[in-house]
Amino acid sequence: MILPFLAIALLVIVTAYSALVSFRERPKDAPSNLIFPARTRRPARIVAALASILIFGVIASSVIRGPQASRERTVRFLIPENYTGWVRVDFEITDAPPLPVEDGQTVLRIPPSGKLTTSSPEQFGIEKDRYFSYSGDTLKPIPKSGPGRLIWGRLNGEEQGASGKRTYEEFFVGSEQQYMDQAKARTAPNSP
Amino acid sequence: MLPFVLYFIAALVIGFHLYGLLSLVAYGVPVNPLAVVALFGSLALLVAAYISLFRPRAAAKVALIAALAIWSFYAPGIANLVRAR
Repeated sequence: MILPFLAIALLVIVTAYSALVSFRERPKDAPSNLIFPARTRRPARIVAALASILIFGVIASSVIRGPQASRERTVRFLIPENYTGWVRVDFEITDAPPLPVEDGQTVLRIPPSGKLTTSSPEQFGIEKDRYFSYSGDTLKPIPKSGPGRLIWGRLNGEEQGASGKRTYEEFFVGSEQQYMDQAKARTAPNSP
Repeated sequence: MLPFVLYFIAALVIGFHLYGLLSLVAYGVPVNPLAVVALFGSLALLVAAYISLFRPRAAAKVALIAALAIWSFYAPGIANLVRAR
């Protein structure tokens, strides 16, 4: 939050300084000073070059690593074949197993009950989730958008449990009509 | 050395801020063309930092042009903020 204010403050200083140096004539034979410095000496130029190489190296490495490391979320949901209904994943459950990672993707194998618990934390970032139905070792992709879409109502939240706060994710697997019917049943006043 | 440090730090801070704003494109936020102009301005400010090591007065002129380019993005934002209050 401080960055925009710092940027504007520096911009004001740079504008004032550069305008002063650009438009004000330096008196002839005047010694160099803070406002009108002379050409920088060679050692100072070397220090400036080394410092900037170091700074650019750090910035470049963080920019290159940043998007893959922290901003993308690649999760593969494996859902039982012909499963219809809500799927729920509870994260940070102490006694539950951690989520396996295959080919750089976190795999969430949903059991036939539609409820999965894991000790792993929830991942955040630009969503690149993929959905598959499984039957034995056979996987079939499940469309999450477009005409044959079968994934609806994706949401995540936070709950206060016995062991502290934990996060969860939910989504519905089925046709649009099935999702609408389920959503109505969920929001009905006498629904369980 | 003062102009180098001043232009260099300003270019980095402003560049970071603009990069952060422009990276929101990944979330579907439309690109503000003035932010792109200002980003080029911060790049010019960085160039001015290196020129200042050899020709401080010429660097000041480049820095002034760069600062004006950057203001094209910040000035309307500040004006809107002041008007809203």
